[in-house]
Amino acid sequence: MSGPQRAPAPRPLTPDPDLAAVVAAQADRSAFDTLYRRYLDRVYAYAFYQLGDHHDAEDATERTFLAALRALPAFRDEGATFRAWLFRIAHNTVANAHRSRTRRRTDPLPEPFDRPAPDADPAGLVARADELRTVLRAVAALSEDRRQVILLRFVDGLSSNEIAEVLDRSPGAVRVLLHRALRDLAERLTR
Amino acid sequence: MSNRTTPQRLDEAIDRLLAGDRPAVEPELRPLVDAASLLSAALPPLPAGRQFEARVAARLAASNPLARAAEAVGALARRELRHPGRLIAAGAVSSAAVGVTVTALAVWRTNRRHGAAGHSAAHR
Repeated sequence: MSGPQRAPAPRPLTPDPDLAAVVAAQADRSAFDTLYRRYLDRVYAYAFYQLGDHHDAEDATERTFLAALRALPAFRDEGATFRAWLFRIAHNTVANAHRSRTRRRTDPLPEPFDRPAPDADPAGLVARADELRTVLRAVAALSEDRRQVILLRFVDGLSSNEIAEVLDRSPGAVRVLLHRALRDLAERLTR
Repeated sequence: MSNRTTPQRLDEAIDRLLAGDRPAVEPELRPLVDAASLLSAALPPLPAGRQFEARVAARLAASNPLARAAEAVGALARRELRHPGRLIAAGAVSSAAVGVTVTALAVWRTNRRHGAAGHSAAHR
């Protein structure tokens, strides 16, 4: 089960929480707005952590939602949840953005410090920035596939089954990747 | 519990962690769950800009008529592809229609040419 081969798409263990909104949007495109608002920040965060630039992330996010709206009539509740389906579009869009870049990014994970809360405590902000920098450095040092699993799991909150759909791997392979990534991170963070 | 693999047990612990619990795990997994806990606390959610949100919302709302037409054609094609027999029949009928039209046109042009030749001969 934990082999690298892709297993047939399993049905989600829990019902797709977005299904009602998806059905509504398939009947009336204006209802897609609900799904858009629900996932905008998460898709944007995924694109930003992968691309390292706000403008590129906004471009990829916009492309993702326009593509999702176009493809929505073809979405069927046949295994993958809507959000796994959406993140798969985001994943492909980000991969295309990577390919179309002329320069290769040297810092694989950006530092998103430019929007502190207006009432934030300065000392707390500094401590948090240090912690964030340490974690980002450790995540940036991971291999590409381990980093993707970490971001999808902890930034976007996807389950291992959903990540398997996004990355076109088996759930067992994703769990093994996650285990190895966390073991690697734990070693780096305790050094 | 014993017949689940270590990655499966870790994954379940992470599910509980992300749901807000502090999962009890065996000592072997504790450093990994601690790293997961640090990750989920340290990686910040990143809200997209509100202007950007409004701009994309407007683009989605005004999704153009061409896209709608393409969708309609796509939906029709998907529906028809579910019935290959219908496609074959439609193809055969279309081919026959094209054949009949071309033949009729050729006959009409031939008759017209002969008619014109007869007319000019009569004039002479």
